[in-house]
Formats: sequence, C-alpha cells, structure tokens
Amino acid sequence: MTFQPAAGARDLNPQQVERNQVLSERLASVYRVWGYEEVAPPRVERMSTLKAGGGIDSKDIVRLVAGEPLGLRPEMTASIARAACTRLANRPRPLRLWAVGTVFESKESVDGGISIEENLQSGVELFGVHDIAAEMELLSLLLETMEALELKENLGTSLLIGHTSLMNLILKPFCKVQREIVKKALINYDRLTIETLEIDKEVKNILLSVQECRGYPIDVLTDLATLIGEEKIILSLKRLFMTIEPIATEHGVTIQLDPTFQPHFDLYSGIVFQLVCQDNSAPIVIAKGGRYDELMNRLGAEINNQAGVGFSYSIDKLRELIPQNKDNSTSSGSILVAFSSDKRLEDALKRQNELHKRGLRAIVELNHCKKRDEAISLLAKRNCNQLDWVD
Amino acid sequence: MITVALAKGALLKDSVTRFAKAGLDFSAVLDPDNRQLMVPSSCGRANALLVRNGDVPVYVAYGQAQLGVVGYDVLREQQMPVAQLVDLGFGGCRMAVAVKETSGYLRAAELPPHCRVASKFTNCARQFFDELDLPVDLVHLTGSVELGPITGIAEAIVDLVATGRTLKDNGLIAIEDLFQSTARLVGHPLSLRLDRGNLQEIIEAMRS
Repeated sequence: MTFQPAAGARDLNPQQVERNQVLSERLASVYRVWGYEEVAPPRVERMSTLKAGGGIDSKDIVRLVAGEPLGLRPEMTASIARAACTRLANRPRPLRLWAVGTVFESKESVDGGISIEENLQSGVELFGVHDIAAEMELLSLLLETMEALELKENLGTSLLIGHTSLMNLILKPFCKVQREIVKKALINYDRLTIETLEIDKEVKNILLSVQECRGYPIDVLTDLATLIGEEKIILSLKRLFMTIEPIATEHGVTIQLDPTFQPHFDLYSGIVFQLVCQDNSAPIVIAKGGRYDELMNRLGAEINNQAGVGFSYSIDKLRELIPQNKDNSTSSGSILVAFSSDKRLEDALKRQNELHKRGLRAIVELNHCKKRDEAISLLAKRNCNQLDWVD
Repeated sequence: MITVALAKGALLKDSVTRFAKAGLDFSAVLDPDNRQLMVPSSCGRANALLVRNGDVPVYVAYGQAQLGVVGYDVLREQQMPVAQLVDLGFGGCRMAVAVKETSGYLRAAELPPHCRVASKFTNCARQFFDELDLPVDLVHLTGSVELGPITGIAEAIVDLVATGRTLKDNGLIAIEDLFQSTARLVGHPLSLRLDRGNLQEIIEAMRS
C-alpha cells in the first residue's frame, strides 16, 4: 500500500515552503505600508457563506461531512466580507484588510471522481468606498505589489479588465433565456455559438464586433460607445484608466480592457480583473479580483456600507515565476557544529546556542567525528558552508 | 511562438491544408517517415503538436496550444473549456443510435428502459437518453463498438457514422441521430483575449 496525499492537495518541500514565505512577506510588506491590517478568516465556513449568495456554485466547494452544511473556503473574499458586515461593521470606513491562507476548490478529476485543488492565496479587501476611488487605490496597490514581487523579467504581464455593467449593457437587448446563452458564449469566447444564434442579423453583428472589441482601454471605450451608446459607466471608466495607465506603464504592465471578460466565480458586480503573465508556455493568471457590492448586500451590510473591492494573488503560481538567483534561500550559508570524540554533545549544543545568540544559522552534528577532516567532509551533505569544530 | 494541436488520423490531411492557406505550412507531419511529435512550420512562426483526437481539447484548454483542430463529437463528449471559433466543414459524420437490423426498434425511445447501450461517447449518450427521459445502462467501450449488439453485451450502440458501411456490414442500422459533427477550429480563451493579432490573422484566414 502506498501513502500519497489526496489528488490535488499540496505536499510542499522545504524550498517551496520557503519561497511561499518569501513571496507572502514581499506582498505583506506592501499591504502594510498602504495601511492594510491582517485578518485570518476561517478555512471552514457554513455553505451559505461560501456560496456567497449564489455567486459560487456548490460543486466548486469541497463539502465536509458534518451535522450542518459546512465546506472548505474556495476563496477568502466571502469570509472576510462576512466579518466586515458583522463583527467589524462598526469599524470606520474605509476598512482595509489583508489575509494570506489556503483555499480549496473542488474539481472533477479525469476518472470522474472529485479532486481537491489547494492553493495558497494572499490578497486585500477594501470596504466602504462606493465610488471609483476604491478601484483607483486597489489597482495602484496591485501594480505596486508587482514591483515588490521581483518576478522574472520579460513576462509580458497584462492586466485584463472587464466590467459587469459593460456586460449588462451588451446583454440588454436579450430576453432572460437568451441572455444566459449569449453571456456564456461571450465569456467562453465561443464565436460559433454566436454565429448560429437565431437572432436579428444586426444584433448578431454587434455581438460579433463586441466579441472582438478589446485592447487599449480608451480606444475600446470609444468603440463601445459607438456600438452600444454613450453610457455613464463608459465615462466613469475613462477616468479610471486615465489614472491607472501611467502607473501600469511605469511597472511594465499592459492594461487591456475586455468588455466580454468575466471570471469563473460570479462574485462580482462592477470591475473585474486578472493579472496575467506569459512565461514560456501558457498564460498564467497570477492575481484576480474586482468589486463585489452585491455580495455585501447579500451578506446583510447596511446600505451605506454595501461596497467592497479586493484582489488575491496565487502564491503557488507566482513561485514558478521568481528567478532562481533572487530566491532568498537560507538553506546554504549555515554553520555545522561538530565535536571530536574528546567532547560531548552537550558541548556542541552549548556552542550552537552561542552562535544562535549571534543570529547565525547553525546546526549540530549529533554524533562525534573522529577527525576534523571527517567533519569537513560532512559539510556538503548537511547543506552547510562553514565548520565550527569543538575539540 | 504559436502552438497548434493537430489530431492524428482522418482529420490531419485537411487540417494541414487549411493551416497552409493561413500561411502555416505543417506538411512535414504528413511525411510517412515523420516520427517527430512537435513539428515546426516551414516559416518557423509556429509549432504543430501531433496528438490523439481526444487530446486536442486538453492541450488547448490548458493553453499549451493556442489553437487546435478537432471534431465536434470530441468537443461534445469532453466538454472542455475551449472556444469554438470556426466550423471547418470537413470530417463530416453523425453521432447516431444504432441497433441490430432485426431488432425491430425504429426510434431510440422504443428501446426498453434500463437496456444496455454501448458507446465510446458515454457523455453524449448519457445526455441524449436523459433528454429522452429513458433510463439506460451505459457500457463504455474504447473501439469496435459495433460488436456490442452482435455479442449481446448491449442492445444498442451510440457511435459515429460516416458512410454507414461498417454498420451495414455488421448487420446494424442507425435509427436516430444525436447530432452532426464536423471539424472545428478551437482556441484557448485566455490566449485569444491576450492575442495581439497573430492568432486573429490565422483564424480569419481559416474562416475564408
């Protein structure tokens, strides 16, 4: 019998754990200077909270066998938003919170069974700001964290932005049944489905044009205004992009507005975005987020507090995008404390303690060495580069 | 670099022809002596991955290939998150329910409840019989499905029918079609969204 972790569960080695900690700390240091406070939401929640008022499908949640319907969190926003609406409801707004932790998503495996996809996430939530100032702070913070992460160069990072109001404007001419079909086709970029829809030819052509409408935000908004009319949301988004664009350029990130882009979780009711890197192969979504005022409403926030925006980074995906030489690994650079047959382990432990007090990383060789040369030969094996010989 | 997933087998020759029209020459994959599974185009702009039919949507869904050519039957069976871009028209066939010629069944709804149905495409079959509200026991076979009714392992089969000759030669008859299938150009949705025009150019050329 072999003992393996459950399919999809993470079983990290020391180097991966260390890299996770380095990345989490790099992100946290930026969150802190922006005035965000750390919270630790529960991993286990009631299904009603996890489903985020219908935003998340129960098949995406790993359910627990318990007396009441419980599950493992598939993301952290719903839990933090619940706290913001309840025990933190009286805290002054804007309320700035951040959290790091594991999330669990339920996936259907190839053999038809269920596998758990476990991911380490780090993200922020900003509550109580109704206007576009929230998006401006959030995206500026996101772009600043990009610099702190010290990722590999030339990753061709893009910030893909959509807006649920833009999608609603596009879907406005359709009845409820058609609306879901068209929305699904647009989100999945399923051009053939749109082409085969039995709808007015002119409306179909607008849909096909909208499907291809993406790129430089100001140009896209101008194109959209001609396709679906000059709406208030378009003017509001123009202001956001005027602010964000120079910051993005400074950080080497290309901003792309894509009206038909929507994420997998239907949490959001406003701006939605994903930060995407292109390494050697497929594009990798390293961070995602958006505005979720509707969720705040469903969680019972007071009317003047029904505002929330946030993003989260996937640390597991970032780990592969840090250059090896920038890895702050402490596995090398250690001192091996070894002792001769004339001394005892207690002497070596005393010496190790002295080194620790000086802030040095030292490990002790538990068995005595016959000669100093024998101890030196152990250095590489013990992953140390210096010997402290107790004789 | 653009990566394209091509299905080995019946669709390969036509797929290569259509990509050639879009300026990507992968004719090297048609060379009977070729043993390479990743073949560069003659212009060096793209690579073709030579994979099994059912693996095309997998490579595209994971984004390792930005584009791919695969039959609609495979897309319906696998339900992978890929964007269907162009109906390429070739590789035409139909997914059908077939029974023994002597069985007397004329429509799928006449099959007895809980009868056994053999198929390689169990998801398509499940969906079809669910919509008919007819409970059946599905038997998954990976090939030579026509043997199902002959050997008695199943009373009916759900399989692809091109000319109908294999069915006829094995004493079977198609009684109902599930859907028509042709080759489709598919793409990775996120790569398509991030495309700076290179993929779009190929898609447009393949559409015409």
